[in-house]
This record gives sequence, C-alpha cells and structure tokens, in this order.
Amino acid sequence: MLKTFKHHTHSINKITVARISLFACMALASLWFSGCMPGTGEPSVPAVVTPSLHPSGSITVWSWNIAAKSLMRLIPGFNKLYPDVKVNVDMTGAQMQTRLMLSLACGVGAPQVSQLQLTDAPHYIDTGRLADLTPVAAQLRNSFPDYLWENCEKNGHVYAIPWDTGPCAVFYKRDIFQKYGIDPKKIDTWEDYIQAGEEILRKSGGKTKMLPLGLDSLENMYLIILQQVRGQIFDEQGRIAINSKASQEALAIIKEMRKAGICSDVQMFSQEFMAGINDNSIATYPSAVWLAGTIRATTKDFGLGKSRWGVFRLPAVTKGGLHVANFGGSVLVIPAQCNNKAAAWAFIKYALCSRKGQADQYRNFDLFPAYLPAQKMPQVTEQDKFFGGERVGVLFARDISKISKLNITPDWAEASTYIEEALSDWAANGMHSRNFFGKLEIRMQRRLGDPISPQSLRYSENNG
Amino acid sequence: MKNDTESQWRRDIIKYRHFYLFISPFFILFAAFSLYPVLFSLFLSFMKWNGLTQWKWVGLGNFTSMLYDDILWRSLWNTLIIGLLYIPPMMILAFIFAQVLNAEWLKLRAFYRAALFLPCVTPMVVIAIVFSLIFSSEKGVLNYAIMGVGHMLPFLHLKPIPWLESESWSKTSVAILVVWRWTGYNMIIMLAGLQGIPMEYYEAAMVDGAGVWERVKSVTMPLMRPTFAFCGLLSLLGTVYMFDEIFVLTNGGPGVSSMNFGLYLFNLSFTDFKFGYASCVAYTVAVAVFFITLAGLRITRQREEAK
Amino acid sequence: MSTSPKMRRMLAMGVFYVVLTAIAFLFLFPFYWLLISAFKTQAQIFTIPPQWVPRPIIFNNFAELYRQTDLFRAFLNSCIISGGNVLLTLFLCSLAGYAFAKYPQARGHGKLFNFILASMMIPGAVTLIPSFLMLVWLHLINTYWAMIIPGSASAFGIFWMRQYVSSNVPDDLVNAARIDGCTEFEIYWRIAVPISKPALAALGIMQLIASWNNLMWAFVVLRTSNMLTLPVVIYLLQGEVRTPFGMLMAGGLMTTLPLILAFLFFQKQFVAGITAGAIKQ
Repeated sequence: MLKTFKHHTHSINKITVARISLFACMALASLWFSGCMPGTGEPSVPAVVTPSLHPSGSITVWSWNIAAKSLMRLIPGFNKLYPDVKVNVDMTGAQMQTRLMLSLACGVGAPQVSQLQLTDAPHYIDTGRLADLTPVAAQLRNSFPDYLWENCEKNGHVYAIPWDTGPCAVFYKRDIFQKYGIDPKKIDTWEDYIQAGEEILRKSGGKTKMLPLGLDSLENMYLIILQQVRGQIFDEQGRIAINSKASQEALAIIKEMRKAGICSDVQMFSQEFMAGINDNSIATYPSAVWLAGTIRATTKDFGLGKSRWGVFRLPAVTKGGLHVANFGGSVLVIPAQCNNKAAAWAFIKYALCSRKGQADQYRNFDLFPAYLPAQKMPQVTEQDKFFGGERVGVLFARDISKISKLNITPDWAEASTYIEEALSDWAANGMHSRNFFGKLEIRMQRRLGDPISPQSLRYSENNG
Repeated sequence: MKNDTESQWRRDIIKYRHFYLFISPFFILFAAFSLYPVLFSLFLSFMKWNGLTQWKWVGLGNFTSMLYDDILWRSLWNTLIIGLLYIPPMMILAFIFAQVLNAEWLKLRAFYRAALFLPCVTPMVVIAIVFSLIFSSEKGVLNYAIMGVGHMLPFLHLKPIPWLESESWSKTSVAILVVWRWTGYNMIIMLAGLQGIPMEYYEAAMVDGAGVWERVKSVTMPLMRPTFAFCGLLSLLGTVYMFDEIFVLTNGGPGVSSMNFGLYLFNLSFTDFKFGYASCVAYTVAVAVFFITLAGLRITRQREEAK
Repeated sequence: MSTSPKMRRMLAMGVFYVVLTAIAFLFLFPFYWLLISAFKTQAQIFTIPPQWVPRPIIFNNFAELYRQTDLFRAFLNSCIISGGNVLLTLFLCSLAGYAFAKYPQARGHGKLFNFILASMMIPGAVTLIPSFLMLVWLHLINTYWAMIIPGSASAFGIFWMRQYVSSNVPDDLVNAARIDGCTEFEIYWRIAVPISKPALAALGIMQLIASWNNLMWAFVVLRTSNMLTLPVVIYLLQGEVRTPFGMLMAGGLMTTLPLILAFLFFQKQFVAGITAGAIKQ
C-alpha cells in the first residue's frame, strides 16, 4: 500500500506549505470573485430619481390584494404611453414587508416599486434606503393633501407618493333606518349617533346593533375621533403626546358607545363581521371609503346588491366640529437600489399623479384618490347606484383638506400595537379611564424609548 | 531567559506547523462566524441600532426594556407550554418504539424504523404545509376523522376543532407536528442507549424471576436515565429555538398564541430590525437556558451518585 | 373452549403488530397526503369526504409549477448550495479533526480543542445577527457563499472526525508513510481520508439534510428570485389570500423526494451520525 508514496522524496514541507497556501488563495479568490458577481453588495446607482423621456426595460412592483389588482388593470393604459416598459405586478408571496426590509438592508433584491401602508412609510423612509424623489415630485406638492404629503417627507425631501386615502363616513342600511324611522340627516354629532343607535336597539328588541366595534377595532375608532378633535399620538418632534385632553374626549365617546350597548363585539373582517353586512344584526359601519369595496363584493355574493345601502357623513364631536378623518391609505416608493428609476417613476406618475389613472382606480376598486385633481373627475363625482344614487365620491371628498394630520413616526406601527393592547384591556376590564393615558404613555416611553412631550397632561395635572 | 522561551516557542510552532496549517481554515471561518459574532452580539446588547443608521449606546436600556416586553414573556410562556405539550408524548412514544425495535424477534424492523424516521429528514416547510391542509377546520382530513368517530360514538359530543384558527388550539397543533417530526430522532438516540446496556443485567434480572415490566423498571429505566436527560436537553433547546415549524404552520398566530421564542427573536431581528434589542434578548435567554441546562444536568448527576 | 397458551401468544402478537403498523401508517400518512395532493386540483383537495385516491389524477400542478416558477433553477441552487456546504464541511472538519488526532504534542493543542468543544454550547440565535452583518460587509449576501460558508465550520464535525481518526487511523501507518516520504498533507489525503469514509459519510448526510432543509437562513440571505433554494420557493408560493395548494404539493414532492432517496441509501450512516451526537455528552 505504501508503494504509491515512494517516489516523493523531495522537500516535503515546502510542498505541503505550497498546497495549503494554494488552497487558501483559491478560497480567497473565490470570495473576491463572488463579491464582484452581478447583483450583490450595495447599490452603485444614484439614489436620486431623475426623469427620462423614453424609459424602457422591465420593472417589478410589489403590492397586495385589491391594490395589486388595481395596478394590473392600469398596465395596458400605461403601455400605450410607454410601450418599452414591461410592468410585472407581483402580488403573491408571504412576508412581503419582511422581505422588503431585508432587501433594503442588504442593498439587493428589492423590487423597482413597492406599496407601503401610509403609517409604515416613515419607518421605511427612516432607513435611508428609499430613492429621493424630490427632483421629479416636488412640483406635485400642491396636488396632494397635507396630511398625506407631510408624512412622505423627511428633512424637506420626498421619498413616497401618496396613493389612496381613507376619508371616513358612515355606511348605513337604508331599510333598517326607514323601518325604525331614523333620519340620517339629523345625525350631526356622535351623541346623536348614539341616541339613534339606542333607538334602533330598543325598537328591534335588541336584535340590531348600531355598529361593529370589537376589541380589535377600538384603536381605529379612537384614532378616527382623535383626528376630529385634532389630537396626536406624537408631537411634531416625535415625542409621545398621547396623554391629552383630546385623547380623553375620544375615549369618553367610545365609552359611551360601549355603555349604550349599541356595539356588536365582532372582530374586523371576521365571519360575523362579514355576515353582518348581509343580515340585520348591524345597522351601520363607520369606516373609511375603501370598506365600500368590501360591502359591494360581499353583498354581490349574496345577490343583494340593490341600493339597500346609503352613506352619511361622519358625526362630529361637537356641533360645528369636523366631520372628517382619515383611516388607512397607502403610498408607492422606489428603493434606492432600483436600477431603472426612470421607468419606475414613469409608472408611479401614471398610476398616482394622473387624473385618469387615479379616478379609474376609484371606480374599479374604491381606492379613493389622494391626487386632488382626480377627485373632480366624473368617475368620482358621479351618482353611485349602489348607495341609492348618492354622489358618494363628493361626500367623501368634502372638507378633505381639513383632515387633521397625524404625526407619523418611524415607531408608529409598534406604538399602535401598544395602544391597541391597552384599549382592549381597558374595554375588557370595566373601562376605568382614570389615568389611562398616563399609564399608556409611560408604557410607550419604556418600550419605544421616545421621550414624553412637554404638552402631556402629566405636567399640567401634577402642577395644578 | 526570555529569549530562550521565545525561541523555544518559535521552534515548537515551526515543528508542528502542519497542525496549525491544518486547523487554520477551520479557525478562520470559526472566528468569522462563531467567535466574532458572539462578541459583537454582546456589544450590540448595549446599543440601539436598526442595522442601517448610526448605533446609539443605551447602556442597560435594552435589559430594562425586556422587563416590560409582554410579547417576550408571552413567547417564553408559549415555549414552555408547547414543550410540555409535546415532550412527554414524544419521549414515551420514542421509548416504546426503541424498546420494540431493540427486540430481536421483531419482523419488518426496517419498515417500522423507516416509518418513524422519515419525518426527520423531510423539509419542514413542505410538511408544515401538508399539516396545514390536514388541520384545516372545515375541509381538513383530521376533523373529518374526528367527525367520523363522533358519528359512531355520539355520546362523546365531538365537534370539529379549529386547529389553527383558535388561540387555545394553535399550540396543540404545533405540538402534534413536532411529535410527528422528532419522535424518530429521539428513538434512534434511545435505541443506541438501549443497545449499550449489557445483556448480563437482563439475564441476572431474569434469574431473579423478574417479568418483562419489572425488567424495564429495574434495569432499563435507571440505566437509560442519562439518555433520557440527553433527549430532554435536546428537546428543551429544540423548543426554545424552534423556528421552521411555527414560521410555516402558524407564523405565531392567531394573535401571538403560538409564538415561541425562536420566532419572536427572528421577528425582532429581521422584521423589526431591532438589532440591539434582539441581541440583548438572545444573549439573556441563551445564558438563562445555559444555566437551566447546567442545573438540570447537575440534578440528574446527583441522583445518579445517590444511587 | 380454553385457548392454549400458544394461541393466546399468537393473538397477543397479532394485536401487537396491528397497533405497531397502525402507528407506523399514522407517521407515513402526511407523506401519502403530500403525494396524492400533488395530483389533485384545488377543489379536489378541499372536498369532503376527502378523496383518498385522486379521481381524476391531475398532472396540471406540475405543468403550472413549471410555468409559474423557476423550479429547475431552484433545484440547481439547492444542489449547488447543499453540495458545496457538504464538501466544504467535510474538508474543513476532517482536516482539522485529523490535525487534532495526530499532532497531540503541538503547543495549545488541548486548549484549542476545549475551546471548540465549549463553542458547541453557543446557540445559533446569538450569532444570527452578526453573521448576517458579516455577510453584508463581505458583500456575500445573495451569493451561494452566504449559504455555504457560515454553517461549515462545525464544531461537532471536528469532534466527530477527531474521534474517528484517532481510533481508526493507526499511528504506525502514519509514521510509515512519513518515512516513505509522504508529505503531511498526503498522509491526510491518501491515508486518513480513505480510512475515515464511514465517518465522512455520516457527517455528510447529516450536513446534507440540514443544508437542504434550511429555510430561515436562506430566507434572510438569498434576496433575488434566481438565487432561491427549493424550500424558500415553496414557502413563498403561499399567498396572502389564496394559496395554490396543488402546486405547493407538487413542488413539495420534488423537494422531498431527493432527501427520501438519500435517506434510504444512507440510512446506516445517518443513524450513526445521530448516535454519535448522543455519545458526545
């Protein structure tokens, strides 16, 4: 067996050393080589978007659900203007948010365009890995409402374009209101609304509740009313400002609603929630405009889509108060690593910053245009047969510029989970409101590491 | 004198240079992906950092944050419950099958071993999706079977179980998946333990007139204790750091009812990008688990010695 | 009427085998479900009562999978990554394991070995983030290397190879080779490696299965669709709204089959590997 080794009589050590170093060199070389392979490492493209007259190439857009379908419908129209850009809307796939964040962090793998929730936008902008849209988008400033645009900016630069917005109103069932003699025109404040709810509850023998308000929706309702009294979660500097008179007012209204027994304790979009759309267990749905899409689709499934529905404006907190608030809405962004920013921007501009693009999205999918000029288009202002011939788009667009801006910070999503937890705790355990926001702000401070705003009631109450 | 030792050092190193050469490729990678991460992770534990912007020293801030982190505590609690739900049945099943496979007269041995063992080699992502079909509350084959049994035995009042939709059942579903997946693995370890027990012990017990059950109780169980301890230790670590099973089957839901520590840590790291806080949590739990293991091992050892 | 002891014994044996077989089938059931669901349409998958044998048998899922995903590429990626990881692990661990077994007099030998043993206590959870950052800094994200390198410096692998080499490669043989003029590397490569084949096979099969099934790391470091491995492709097929289960099952079948085959061929080595893990304590 050892015969095979016999002829190796020359310097053993040198050969071994040489072989090992060869191996090491090969390993190092391959490391180096892989570093130079295409599609790895930090983006080498400029992070600022500049316009181009003839964009070409193909782009991928990450989006979800109805929003993705809406974008897909726009592609043929877009391709008439830009025949050389191939758009691929990718709506499949789990964990889109996580994957987007990972790709931003790694500098590779992000799509050319991505959808984000409005409330998530500052979080992503804060990473510094989104493209700066200022050169192409700054002139669009006045075409979008402040409450959306300002959350798309950081240090005077624009990083996201608002897509749809969620102005709120109350969807109600005409037949139920007629049956019990309720006039929706007379509902001006939340007090009126609760009274009407009590009447319906009484007259229906407890069968029909006024609204769905499960533990998981308390936060949404709180945020809607908070905007009406111009309250904030965070102040302009990003400090925690939840402990305020405005918050207490909003909480008091929710407490009244729940105490009146007019709330149906169903989770949003649960089976009971959806069933409530078609039976008479729930009379109204105070929500954002996009719920219309759900209502239309759900009633169609049951063959009941015949003007049983109506819309009236969101009740105000006090007489003469604000009838508007925003709930939901999303934006489109271009990651800094995108290698075809011209085409990406052309698509965003077509979808979000053109009257036709946005107005079509409203007609087809109830995505209410954030682009103000589109709100004047016939697709938006026409009568809506489903809602008894009401000009629903006009109703939602009314006073939209008065909507109070919520200061969204990078910590918003996390803060929101703490508010939701605290509110459902509060509702489940006897609704003791004393020092509710005082405790909540401490908890938020500990978990988020953000300071408490000097406007907090903590300081005025302690002194007085 | 100093020079002497130094040159001695040098001579030794040159003499055994092959040793250092041969272990160096390993040690370079080991340093890059084990040693350095352990140190850097410790450093990060005192930072607030999202991996993208500048890091910020927060001292013990992350550690105090942990005290108020309800979801962390929920996830640790869930970890414990999931462990309690699956470890006992899995160990019992593994032990019984190890005993059976150890019997010389068994026929079809290869078949039984392969059946229990195949789950260990299959990709979790595939099997978790298969289980999500089986667990489907309306159209799943498991509920179909339960209803079938309920039909035959109406006094049991069986109802379809919302395996993945309800907060109270989601942990059980995970536990069933884990039992299915890891029983074979533990069985192999126990089989090795059983084969390590000298035949003379059994023969001596037989001479004393011990029956099958008594032999198991007085010979097998005491001698298998270290093996049980080892399996228990593996299962403990497996439950704490389990990821694929839960990520694919429930993703921690509904709510956070089936979120274990491994998944929570992943979310902290790669969904929330809280690199500082996540390192701090990982470190603290790793140290806690280490001491729990140490205590556990010491207790089993003391018991051994007391015998 | 009284049954003879022999009869009773046979009856007991019968019951025993029935129960045992039932449990075995219970364990095999998910595989069966995977197999038949791959040949069903979405509607067939969700019919009640369930179709125990798909009727009709549908092959469309595979065609659909071929059309909608780049499964061949994913398969190739999986093969390159698993293969590379296995080979690198085997090389690193056997070389270092050999060194630890055959140069006991070297300075720092004991300390270094204990150090490696101690590192086995470090859970992957602690090293997760820094390893990720390391790959970002080395510009290795979204390359095969990101999957191949980090897991290959396996402390267990070294331990396992050292044990095997020290008890199966005689020192006399090593010394004889040295006298014959072999280089140290040749001794390792031509003597130690061939003798250690069983140990290498066991380590290799364990590493192969871990590498092939790896989901979390692949999900994190592989960023573009042309780099993804089979488990990630399967995972991402799950939609937010509607999951194409038939397609998933077809892909699942193709992901699982290579491993089942590998297992059936290397059953003995795999068992040896697990058992070695148990003995190390």
